[in-house]
Amino acid sequence: MISLTINGQTLEVPENTTILNAARQAGIVIPTLCHHKDLTPYGGCRLCSVDIQGMRLPATACTMLVSPGMVVQTESPALTQYRRTILELLLVRFYDAGYTHDGSAQLELDTQFAHWVRYYDIDMKSAMAKEPFRQIDSDPNPFIWVDKNKCIMCTRCVRACAEVQGRFVWTQAYRGYDLRIVAGLDTTMLQARCESCGACVAHCPTGALDNKMSLKLGMPDRTVSTICPYCGVGCQLDLNVKDDVPGGRVLSVSSSEKAPVNGDHLCVKGRYGYEFIHSENRLKQPRVRKYLLDGVARPKDRGPWVDVDWDTALNIVAKGLNSARSQYGPDSIGLLTSGKVFNEENYLMGKFARQVLGTNNIDCSVHLNHRSVVDGLNDSLGLPAMSNSMQDIAGNARTILVIGSNITENHPVFGSKIRQAVLRRKAQLIVASPIFFNIEEYAALSLRYKPGTETALLNGLMRIILEKGWEDKKFIQKRTQGFEEFRSLVDKYPLDKVSQLTGVPAEKLNAAAEIIAGNHPMAVIWGSDLATQVAGVDNASDLANLQLLMGNLGVSGGGVAPLRTQNNSQGACDMGGLPSVYPGYQLVADKQAHKKFETAWGTDLPVNAGLSALEMMKAVNQGSLKALFILGENLWSDENSAYIRRSLDQCEFVVLCEALSSEACHHADVCLPGVSFAENTGTYTNTERRVQFVRQAIQPQGDSKPEWQIISDLARRILVQNDKRTAGAMYSGWVYKDTREIMSEIAALTPIYAGVSHERLERGDVLLWPVRSFADSGSPILYESDFPLGKARFMPVG
Amino acid sequence: MDHENKDLDLASLVDKVVREHGATPDSVIPILSEINRTLGYIPAGTLPEIRRRIQIPQEGVFLADSHVYSAASFYQMFSLKPLGRHVIRFCESAPCHVEGGRQVIEALQKELGLQPGETSQDQKWSLLTTSCLGVCSVGPVFLVDDDIFGNVTPERVPEILARYE
Repeated sequence: MISLTINGQTLEVPENTTILNAARQAGIVIPTLCHHKDLTPYGGCRLCSVDIQGMRLPATACTMLVSPGMVVQTESPALTQYRRTILELLLVRFYDAGYTHDGSAQLELDTQFAHWVRYYDIDMKSAMAKEPFRQIDSDPNPFIWVDKNKCIMCTRCVRACAEVQGRFVWTQAYRGYDLRIVAGLDTTMLQARCESCGACVAHCPTGALDNKMSLKLGMPDRTVSTICPYCGVGCQLDLNVKDDVPGGRVLSVSSSEKAPVNGDHLCVKGRYGYEFIHSENRLKQPRVRKYLLDGVARPKDRGPWVDVDWDTALNIVAKGLNSARSQYGPDSIGLLTSGKVFNEENYLMGKFARQVLGTNNIDCSVHLNHRSVVDGLNDSLGLPAMSNSMQDIAGNARTILVIGSNITENHPVFGSKIRQAVLRRKAQLIVASPIFFNIEEYAALSLRYKPGTETALLNGLMRIILEKGWEDKKFIQKRTQGFEEFRSLVDKYPLDKVSQLTGVPAEKLNAAAEIIAGNHPMAVIWGSDLATQVAGVDNASDLANLQLLMGNLGVSGGGVAPLRTQNNSQGACDMGGLPSVYPGYQLVADKQAHKKFETAWGTDLPVNAGLSALEMMKAVNQGSLKALFILGENLWSDENSAYIRRSLDQCEFVVLCEALSSEACHHADVCLPGVSFAENTGTYTNTERRVQFVRQAIQPQGDSKPEWQIISDLARRILVQNDKRTAGAMYSGWVYKDTREIMSEIAALTPIYAGVSHERLERGDVLLWPVRSFADSGSPILYESDFPLGKARFMPVG
Repeated sequence: MDHENKDLDLASLVDKVVREHGATPDSVIPILSEINRTLGYIPAGTLPEIRRRIQIPQEGVFLADSHVYSAASFYQMFSLKPLGRHVIRFCESAPCHVEGGRQVIEALQKELGLQPGETSQDQKWSLLTTSCLGVCSVGPVFLVDDDIFGNVTPERVPEILARYE
């Protein structure tokens, strides 16, 4: 620790602390412009200059490190004058055109720069340039507004593009009066390979870079912190809301430096893909096909739509599902739940299927992806999820193997973190893929293999490792089983054969094995390209084999990382949105678990094995499945859409609960309007098992309703129509005041979520499951002391 | 066809220069300098070629077009567009200015019919300004190609220019 004095106050701070950070810890504000806590200190604007006893000139607090006995003064009349002069000089080459949406009034700039200009009592209008000296709006990027008249050359955009996104679009070019930021070879941003993540905008202190879509919409009335609805990374973002219409509207999205997963970073989807919230395509009113109201037989094309009230729509759905149930049995109904909706809603879907309808026919529609992870990893390691947090992998893995994942497009913020792991700490990146993905630009080694030869590739690598004796013998002996059987299978993959099968040259295979063995620990990341294959389960097992072989499990910087496609793919599975499991992967086939849920839900539960999504489609084609209830899923994003379309056409009764009109509506008999993430409160679980809190920002659009209300209302109606009593049991009821109550029920019945509650999440607790009690702080790294199976299992594949 | 050949030539020139100076970020300026010397300017097409050859992901070294452009556009001895056969670089720093530099640049402009930054239509002359050339004791100063002229007066300008074909 180093002792110093700032403004007469004695402080103790760790070595290598800057004066700025020492002052901030003591609550002393020093003005800054070019400084940002996530970026390399630059010392360019000099606004943070402070006096240090014994030094002739003021020094920049953002770059100067503290030293023992240092005496610092951050305020004095001379410093005030010094800072004012700096700002005045910056204003000489600054022009604010004051854009508003109708051009009528001048907007006062609400930026960090404008703040300090006001603070030092400078009138911006009279001090700035008299006219624009560069083109206003000079870049055609659809999301990012560029006005270099407002650039003060602080280079925060240059550093953000390099140090956050890892894309190096912006740079300083030319010199003297011509000095300016340019993109690439002084081209447009997109030509300079911009990915439109908006990090430069988020880091700009002057508004030279701004959000094009919301630039002229004025200031929000309030900001609501919530979770991104796109991929499994689960970034936290802020919705900026204006209350000028009933219920409010979302003006824009910003990042927040306080966000736990992503900090001030978002991708193009999260930052700019919010217009769907207020899209014309939103379903705002329940609607049913006319034949249902007329009580006649269903026409072949299902006939015209009629808008109805909720009561009518839900009674029709209850009656439709009930009649299928009484006529053909409960297994004539199938439910598809969703990786787009909350944990609470997925839990209700499982309970609805099993308790109310009496079937295990429930699945998430992106089924292939999930099954490979759930089955593959469950059998080998005991838990179907990523073993290490993203932060741990990006921060500590010395080798990172990315296989079958276009990570920078599908999970962009995590992809950027992997780039930074290479750039900042020379992590060795191996990218294996049949085609080029842009993360490959950062790879120490790329393995271009023939599609479908993953097993040969992985077995081949493992055989090289075994031949050289590079495996972790101690780990294998102490913590695994089935090694000998695995070894004899891998022996069947000699180098020349593998090279021939995969098309990867032998020397590259050797080089990959060498990197893996020489840079321990390694994390293995794979995405849907690998998971959705027919051999998806095998791929997951074989990657687990590789990690067991190298002793890369239960250690920081190691682990298996199957990246989940949707924001709540992980949660949908966790909540029992799968035919074979109750919440928390408690097996339907397990007698004890079965009994537990019968007791909790107060009714006999089905024992028949449920159908997967694709099996449901097949059953519809064969005529055994009569009714489908589909929640929040556009099936057309799935494999084999022609087959799905044919199946839906044949299905007698199709209910769709969706926020947006999609092609599935053409094949539905009833459409129930659900809400977007901005209109609902609940939780998502991201790809690293982190349970996160989603806060409602605006009122539901039109007559739409949160899905959890729709499902519970429907459940109540069906129970009444059937005169089915479930009273007496602890969790049999369907009356929920809010999703908080649903989460309490989940926690009570799901050991891995036992310590999860809305209260804890609101408080900011970081909860990566398993969270076994309210005192448990979660598990960023799995398998540190043991595997759920006792010993992990090698699963020979090939 | 011509165009393709030119691209091919640029690629092989960059190959040669990068081989000579080494494929590291530290070599970017010497590489640019040699290309500028060889061709009289740095064609935009060479910048991505240079970038492509200096990537060492194992070492965490990643160079982007923007990095190369930043260096190429900064130095006044580099040009990003073709120049005339002879290039005049007139010093516009303070010491030359107080010694009567303005009259000299005006004489140059008048004699050549060019504004600073322009190249004559017959491609004979380019007139550029530069910052200090380091010979302030004999200001005003300008360079013609690699020849330096000091204590220049407006009257001497025609005579100096006449020395060049």
